[in-house]
Amino acid sequence: MLMDRETLEVDVLIVGGGPAGMSAALKLSQLQKERGGAPLAIAVLEKAREAGAHMLSGAVLDPSTLRQLVPDFKEKGAPLAAEVRDDRVFFLTRTSKLKFPITPPPLQNHGNYIISLNRFVKWLAGLVEAEGIDIFTGFPASEVLYEGDAVAGVRTGDRGIDKHGDRKPTFEPGVDIRAKVTIFADGVRGNMTKALVRRLALDAGRSPQLYAIGIKELWELPKDRLPPGTVIHTMGYPLRMEEFGGAFIYAMPDGLASVGFVAGLDYRDPMFDPHLTFQHFKQHPFTASILQGAQLVRYGAKALPEGGWHTIPRVYADGALIAGDAGGFLNSIRLKGIHLAMRTGMLAAESAFDAVRAGDASAARLKGYADAIDRSDVRRELYPVRNVHQSFSYGLLAGVAYSGLSLVTGGWWYRDPMPAHAGYERVAKIDEYYQDGKPDPDIPARPAKIDRQLTFDKLTNVHYSATRHTEDQPSHLIVHDTEICRTRCRTEYGNPCTRFCPAQVYEMVDAGDGTKKLQINASNCVHCKTCDIMDPYQVIDWVPPEGEGGPQYEGM
Amino acid sequence: MILVIAEQRGGKLNRATWETVAAAQQAGSPITIVVPGSGVDAVATEIAAAEAAEVIIVDSPALAEYTADGYVTALAAVIGEVTPDLVFLPHTYQTRDFAPALAARIGRALITDVTAIKKDGNSIAFVRPVFQGKLNADVQPAGPAPHLVTCQIGAFRADSAKTGSSAAQTRKSSVSVDASAIRQKPEAPFKETKQAVDLSQAERIVSVGRGIKGQEHLKIAQDLAAALGAEIAASRPICDAGWLPMDRQIGSSGQTVAPKLYVALGISGAIQHLVGMKGSKTIVAVNKDPEAPIFEIADYGIAGDLFEVVPALIAELNK
Amino acid sequence: MKIAVCIKQVVTREWQLRVNDAKTWIRDQDASFELNEPDAYALEEALRLKEKHTGEVVVCSAGPARSAQVVREALARGADRAIHVESDALATADAFTVADVLAGAIRDEKFDLVLTGLQSDDQGFGQVGVVLAEKLGMPHATIIMEVQASPSTGSGQGALRVKRELEGGWFQWVTLPLPALLTIQSGINQLRYATLKGIMAAKKKEIRKVAPASSGEPSQRIVSVYFPEKGKKTQMLPGTAAEAARELVKRLREEARAI
Repeated sequence: MLMDRETLEVDVLIVGGGPAGMSAALKLSQLQKERGGAPLAIAVLEKAREAGAHMLSGAVLDPSTLRQLVPDFKEKGAPLAAEVRDDRVFFLTRTSKLKFPITPPPLQNHGNYIISLNRFVKWLAGLVEAEGIDIFTGFPASEVLYEGDAVAGVRTGDRGIDKHGDRKPTFEPGVDIRAKVTIFADGVRGNMTKALVRRLALDAGRSPQLYAIGIKELWELPKDRLPPGTVIHTMGYPLRMEEFGGAFIYAMPDGLASVGFVAGLDYRDPMFDPHLTFQHFKQHPFTASILQGAQLVRYGAKALPEGGWHTIPRVYADGALIAGDAGGFLNSIRLKGIHLAMRTGMLAAESAFDAVRAGDASAARLKGYADAIDRSDVRRELYPVRNVHQSFSYGLLAGVAYSGLSLVTGGWWYRDPMPAHAGYERVAKIDEYYQDGKPDPDIPARPAKIDRQLTFDKLTNVHYSATRHTEDQPSHLIVHDTEICRTRCRTEYGNPCTRFCPAQVYEMVDAGDGTKKLQINASNCVHCKTCDIMDPYQVIDWVPPEGEGGPQYEGM
Repeated sequence: MILVIAEQRGGKLNRATWETVAAAQQAGSPITIVVPGSGVDAVATEIAAAEAAEVIIVDSPALAEYTADGYVTALAAVIGEVTPDLVFLPHTYQTRDFAPALAARIGRALITDVTAIKKDGNSIAFVRPVFQGKLNADVQPAGPAPHLVTCQIGAFRADSAKTGSSAAQTRKSSVSVDASAIRQKPEAPFKETKQAVDLSQAERIVSVGRGIKGQEHLKIAQDLAAALGAEIAASRPICDAGWLPMDRQIGSSGQTVAPKLYVALGISGAIQHLVGMKGSKTIVAVNKDPEAPIFEIADYGIAGDLFEVVPALIAELNK
Repeated sequence: MKIAVCIKQVVTREWQLRVNDAKTWIRDQDASFELNEPDAYALEEALRLKEKHTGEVVVCSAGPARSAQVVREALARGADRAIHVESDALATADAFTVADVLAGAIRDEKFDLVLTGLQSDDQGFGQVGVVLAEKLGMPHATIIMEVQASPSTGSGQGALRVKRELEGGWFQWVTLPLPALLTIQSGINQLRYATLKGIMAAKKKEIRKVAPASSGEPSQRIVSVYFPEKGKKTQMLPGTAAEAARELVKRLREEARAI
C-alpha cells in the first residue's frame, strides 16, 4: 500500500527501552563525551506508554555493571530498594519445607540489591533523557528495514487501524527510521530479533532457545512481616521432578514484597498451567503464612530466555547488533540477566560508536561486538553454565547434580552442547501423557481453590496488571490457523494456550454447533510472549499491538 | 436560612427541585425557595406547597431563556438580598453551567454533586463522589456564608420533601436583570439521538452479562429496563460479541457509573466489570451461580434463573 | 486565534485506588498518570481550531512537578508553547484555588479563547473552567459538543456558536462573543496521535514555569475519602422466581427507596 511515510535518519537506533537499550543509549552518550567529534543522532524506541511500564523481573541485581556504567549511581539516586541481607533456599514438599543448610553458590546474593526493574529502568530513562537522547515511548517497531541483506533500520507500527483492518480518521502511518547501526534490544522473544534471526539465519548451528515463564505479584505485607533484604528461593513443590523452576520472595522496604514463580516452558504435561501452579505455591503453608493479611498490589508475567550460551545466535549482522534478553544473555542458574543485559548493551554501544565513526557498519566490523563479548565478563559468567538448563530436561535430580558438578568442572560435558529440544516440542500429547483416562481440556487437571485474597483467577489477576489496549484495533495475536485449534490441537493437546497464557487471552468458547472455537481476548495481553514460544504447532505470532498498549508494571 | 434555587424550563418545574427541597430541609430550616424565570407564577404556586418560609419569584424578561449571565446576575442579587447560610441547587446540566460562576461572582464556596449531608452538632459536611464514584469524599466548605451546594439528581428523594400545612407565602423580588449585559445568545433546544450514550448520567441501569446467553434474549432485559425507567448496559463479553454497542459497556474498558440502581443480570462479577459499577447506590444481582463474585457487592441477590426471575420482576413492577 | 487549553494530570483510569494514611486522598506516590480525558479532547479541539483559523495554542497546567508529563504530551501533539504553574500543593487543591492561579498565570496573555475539559476524572468538581471564566471576565458555555468560531476581523469582534449538551439527548446552540471560555465534553472529536516529529519538536518548545500567586484560602476541604461502604450484608432473596421478585420489588421500594 503506497502511502506517505515519514523518514527519520539517525546514527544509532536502539529498539527496546529495557536495561539493555537504556544502557546502550547511556554508554553512547558517555562515549560521545569522552571521544568528542560530531554529535551522534540517537533514538530509542519503546512500545510502552512510558519507560519501564513493561519491565517485570524478580529482581535481584548484580551491581557490577551498574558500577561500570554509572559509578556515582548512589548519588544519582539509583532506586535500589534493599541490599540483600538474608539469603535462604528451601525445598518444598506439599506440606512442609526443608532449608538448604548452605545456600548454593549461584544463589548467594551477598552484595546484590533487590530492585524493582520497572523503577530501575525509569531511573535509567531519566539519565538517558538528561543526555538529550530521544526515547520515543508508545512506538513499537513492526518491521525491519533492509537494503539487500543489510539492516537499514526499522519501521514503526501504523496507528489508527480499526479491528477490521481499515483506517480510522486518526490514522498515522508508521515512520521509517533509518540508522547506520540498529541495536536490537527488544527483550525475550523480541519480535524484531525473531524476524532478523530468521531472515539472516543467525541461529544456524546454535542450540534451540529454551524459555521459562515468570509470573510475579507485588504484595504489601503487614508491617515487619519480612525484613527488607530478605531473599527466599524455593524448589520442589508445587513442581514435580520432571518440571524446571522454582519460586522467589524478595522483601523490600515499606512492607512491599515481590512474590513470583518461574516455570520452564519445556514441561511434558499438556495440562500444566503455570498460573495455577503459582496459586498452589501461594497456598503452601510457608507462603500462606507470609502472605497472611497482605494485599495484592500488582500482577504480571514475562518469559525468560534460559537456554544460555549455546542458544545465543550470532549477535551481529550488516548494520545490526543484538543485546540483552533478545540475544538470550541470561544466567539461568544465578537467575540473573539484568546486569548482562546492561553489559551487552554497553558493548553494543561501543561497537556501534566505533562503526559510525569509521563509516563502516558491516558485519565484518560489527563482529568486534561478538569478540568483545567473548573477552568479557559476560562469557566468563555464561560459558561455565552453558548446559545447566539443558541438564534439567533430564529431570530435577540430573539437573541439580550437573549444576553442582559444573561449578567445579566449568561446565564440561561429554556432549557439548548438551542436546535439548525446544520447549514446545517436548510437550507430550494428551494420549501419551494421560494413559488412563483423558482429562477434560476445559477443566484444570490440578485445580486450586480461588479465594481472591491469596489466590486469584487469571482474569482478576489481569486486572492488577493494569494492562490496557485501544479496543478498536486488529488482534495482535496472529493465529495463522484457527482450524487447528478446534480440531487437531483440541484432541492432541487440549488447547494448552488456554492454560499457559497467564492472562486468559485464549479461550475456547461454544461455536454454537456443539464444537468449540478459539476466542482471542487480545486486550488482556500482558506481552509475556509465552504463546509465541509454547504453542505446539508454532502457528501463533505475537506482534506488537498499537503503541502505548500493554501492562503498567508500576513497582514490578 | 437555607435558600433553594428552583429550576424550571418554559414554565415547567423540574422535578429535581423537589429533591433539592428535601436535601435543604435535611440540612436545616427554615428554607426559602427562589424561582427565576419569566412568567413563572404557576411554577411558584406549585413549589409553594413545600414547607418553606417563603417563595421568591425573580421574574424578568431577561430570564425567559436560560443564560449563564442572566442567572448569575439575578441569583447573585437575590442572595445578596436575603443573606442565606446555605444555597442548594439541583445538579442539572443547567446548574453545572452557571453555579460555579455564581459562586465565583459572590466569592463563596461551592460543593457540587452532593449525595448526602452529614451533620455533627454545628458542623456540616457534604458527601460527594470522586473518581467517578469509586470513592466518596466528605467535604467541608470554608470561608464566609453562604456556601453553595448542588445535589446529585436522584440522591435525595423528592417524595421525602416536607410539604407545608398551607402554601408558603410568595412574593416577587425587586431584582432586575439587564438583558443587554447578557453575553450568551441561546437558540431553542432540540433533541437529537446521541451517537454515544452517556450512561454516567442514568439514574437506573439494567446490565446484562454472559448469562443472557444470546442476542435474541436481550428483549427481556430491555423490557425490565423499560419497566424500571432504566438504561440498558452490558458487561464486556456482550459488547465484544456485538450484541450491544460498545458505548453500553460498563467496566474498566468501558464506562464507569454510579447510578441509584444497578441491576446485574447474568453477570458473574469479574473485577473488570465491578470497577465500573461498584459505586452504585443499590445493586441487585441475578445469577444462576450463588458463588458468583457479583453477590459479594450486591445489596440484594437472587440466585436463580434470570429467564424466570426477570419476567416475574416485570410483572411485579407493572402491578 | 490565540487559544489557551487548561489541562490536568490525573492517575490512570486503571489505577487501583487506595486511600492514603491520612484518609484525605488516594495514595499516588508511585502511580501511573495520564492526561485527564476531557482535557485531551479540549486540546484536540484547540488544535483543530488553530488549523482552521491559524493562531497559537498555549497549554496551561497548574500542578506539581510531575504534571510536566502531560504538558510535554500536549506539546508533542501540537501545542505551540506551555505555561506550567508548579507547586506540590496544587495536586489536591480545590477548584477555586486552581482557577485562581490559572487566571493569574494567563490573564496578561489576553487569549481569544480558553478551553478546558468539563471536569476532571479525579475530583470531578466541574468548576475550574467556569470559575476561571468569571475571574477572567469572559463569557462561558459548558459541556460543549461542537464549536464554530468566527474569529475577530478588522471590522468586528469575533464570536463563537457552540453546541451545549443538555439532559436526556437534548442540545442547544448558543452564540457568545470572543474572548470566551468553553468547557469541552469528551467525544467532541477524535484525538490525534503525537507523532515522532512532534515529540522531537516538543523538546524545543517553551515551557514557562510560574509560581502560583494565589490570593486566598481554599474554598473547601476534603475531610476524608473512603470507599462507599456496603454496610449491610448482601441480602439473598430465596424462594421461587415469583416470590423473590415480589420481595425484591418491595425492598427496592421501601428499604432501598431505589424505585
